[in-house]
Amino acid sequence: MAAEKNYYTIDPQGKLMCVKCGVPLEKGKAKFMYLDNGFPVELPVCPRCGFVYVPEELALGKVASVERALEDK
Amino acid sequence: MSQIQERGSTHVYKVNKISKEEMESMVERCVYEHPPFCSAACPLKLDVRAFLDAAAAGNFKKALQQYEKIAPFPLILAAGCDAPCERKCRLGEIGDSVAIRAVEEAVARYGEVTRIGGVFRTRKKKTAAIFGSGLFALFLAGEIEKKAYPLTVFCEQPDLEGFLRCETDFLDDNAFRAELKRLRGKEIEFVFDCRITRELIEEKRGAFDVLCCAEAVHAALYPEAPCAPELMYCADAGLVTGPTEGVLGAAFGAKKAALTVDRLAQKLDPSNTRGTEGAVESQLYTDLSEAKRLARVPLNGGYSKEAAIEEAGRCIQCRCEECLKSCAFLEHYKKHPGLLSKEIYNNTQIIMGDHQLNKPMNSCSLCGQCTVVCPNGFDMAQVCHRARQNMVSTDKMPLAPHEFALLDMLFSNNEAFLARPQPGYERCKYVFFPGCQAAAIAPETVRAAYEDLCARLDGGVALMLGCCGAICDWAGRYEMEAQTREFIDRELARLGDPIVIAGCPTCKKELSTHEGISIKGIWDVLLELGLPEGAHGLDRPAALHDSCGARGDEETQTAIRELAARLGCELIDTPYSGDRSPCCGYGGLAAYANREVASEMTEKCLERSDAPYISYCMACRDRFARKGRESRHLLELCYGTDAGAPPDISEKRRNRLMLKKELLLDLWHEETAEMKLDFELHYTDEARRMMDERMILTDDVIAVLRDFRETGEAILDGEDGMLVARKRVGNATFWVKFTKESEDSFTVHRAYSHRMNVVKREG
Repeated sequence: MAAEKNYYTIDPQGKLMCVKCGVPLEKGKAKFMYLDNGFPVELPVCPRCGFVYVPEELALGKVASVERALEDK
Repeated sequence: MSQIQERGSTHVYKVNKISKEEMESMVERCVYEHPPFCSAACPLKLDVRAFLDAAAAGNFKKALQQYEKIAPFPLILAAGCDAPCERKCRLGEIGDSVAIRAVEEAVARYGEVTRIGGVFRTRKKKTAAIFGSGLFALFLAGEIEKKAYPLTVFCEQPDLEGFLRCETDFLDDNAFRAELKRLRGKEIEFVFDCRITRELIEEKRGAFDVLCCAEAVHAALYPEAPCAPELMYCADAGLVTGPTEGVLGAAFGAKKAALTVDRLAQKLDPSNTRGTEGAVESQLYTDLSEAKRLARVPLNGGYSKEAAIEEAGRCIQCRCEECLKSCAFLEHYKKHPGLLSKEIYNNTQIIMGDHQLNKPMNSCSLCGQCTVVCPNGFDMAQVCHRARQNMVSTDKMPLAPHEFALLDMLFSNNEAFLARPQPGYERCKYVFFPGCQAAAIAPETVRAAYEDLCARLDGGVALMLGCCGAICDWAGRYEMEAQTREFIDRELARLGDPIVIAGCPTCKKELSTHEGISIKGIWDVLLELGLPEGAHGLDRPAALHDSCGARGDEETQTAIRELAARLGCELIDTPYSGDRSPCCGYGGLAAYANREVASEMTEKCLERSDAPYISYCMACRDRFARKGRESRHLLELCYGTDAGAPPDISEKRRNRLMLKKELLLDLWHEETAEMKLDFELHYTDEARRMMDERMILTDDVIAVLRDFRETGEAILDGEDGMLVARKRVGNATFWVKFTKESEDSFTVHRAYSHRMNVVKREG
């Protein structure tokens, strides 16, 4: 079976903690959605409550540039 | 607060096409691509600008390359041309025209010849022959050879020298020798000592694909067969030939004839796709005001290399760049409006794929300065505005560039909106409409102005705090604009349809388009009433910046100057004032769609003077102050107020709310219920700066922290020990990095946002 496509991967490496659940965030499956387009990614996710963390560098970098590209479609 | 629906999908496959006729009628007004008058007058279409530019730079090789494009024998043409270019040179209107022909002669004499193709030059398969000699035959031989057709010339002369000598007795010996050398270098086969007869021509018909002859040969041997001079072709005799007059006429005839040879060799109709031939009319605009060197460099029988360089340097390189010189937006994209408009129109017609011109289309301030500075009144604002509306109509307009401004407008016309008759009145004769930016930037000035108007005008003065609708109009959101128009009309009707006293020229312009509204500027009213007590101007000279909202509104511009004079202001006259004034960068929502261009617009305004700036639009005042310039609104001077340092985006909202709240309490004795924050919130300076730059409001941050306090959802970053929480507000997710000082007190360190929605994925 072909490997599943991920547009971006961040491994929290145990440095991020979910305050609500008190457990470390893990590399988990998430999806960015914008203007009817979806992008599977791997981001720090709380294994219990499912909180998905988008770090500042990602939001202002890759995410912002994909947003701009889609907005001009 | 109100939200704006994001467009649902990028998969929208429809376009609402702007008609080609509409596009062309706009684009053709731009004369940037018209040729300069010298080139337009030249039937051979010499690019005189490029030619003189290279010559002025001392690059005679490059100049000769330009000249050789039109002249296979440059010295002959330069010596014999009657130079219609010089008669059309614009410098001739105020001094001596450039001695173009003499410079051509010098370039032809001193320029290094570039060999075309060299030994590897590919030649065509079709062949041509020329019968006879003379200037036309010589030039035609040069043109055909340039097109790489194998060519044979049949002439009566015994040698090459004799062939070249025919009709060129005006050449001096040096020029003759140089052109003989040039002729020898060309790949032309000669058959000398021929008796040119009809039999010879007919005999060769089978041997060559195209036959040409000198006019004299045609006249003598085929007197019965007429020829079409526009094609230089005698169809009956099957000969490329025709009448010519003078050296330039022969060169032009040869050019047309060579094109006919080309068409015939390809077995096409010679009249096929020839384009515009010969001299043309040009509507190019040239600014002669900067022209300095008006006297010709003395000729003394011909130019030395140095003298030719000097004379070529007198060329003012006619180009119409009036709009590019004055508009930071066009200057930024380095495109003349004709070209940019075409690209923007094409952008509106893309069904699938990237709309690469969205950003430029949304970066125009729609200020209309180009329409005034352009000699033909090109209206870039109309192009961009129509394109924006078109994109909105097809659901292809991105919301992101304008959303903040549109939400701000909704804020002005909802939470911060106020429409009340003056206390003691039910219906009023007037209503003061200061404009959303005045309330956001200088609330004290608005209050002082309103109280003054109430005190000094009879018949009652109502107050309306809100947005006139310019914001959604600029964004191309025509449905929203219609709703805003209806809303304002309804509110005005409720106040008794009073005369509107606008505090902002853009509001005045926008509201003037409403049916049945009577409107004047506060500046007009203050001139009628006299200045309020304590009004005084700046104690040093200041530059007056005219608002783009007042473009074409001479009454307002005059009234403002009169008011400034009464205040005792000493105004500095700057270029680009009055109708020619540029936009500060706020207009057309340029500041939201393209911060960089908007910043360049502000700088363009400020480069006119080092003095403090006085303006009569609060957005101008704000943008100049943000660039560190001392900047005052005329109303601040009238009312002795000072709005101080420019507020950030959140303060602008708070100012509007506070103004409404205080006026309601003090004038109408109405308490406003306040949403108290049940926790303490502090911001580091960096967080404040970051939020302003990233267009994140304190309200957005509060929403995130409220959510955190309710749900407890946050991340603890082990690296810096800070908490990060988030909340989706409208079409964006806001993230706040903060520290918790106590249960009810937080310090915000960072904030950022993204528009994409992120969710956990199963599987």
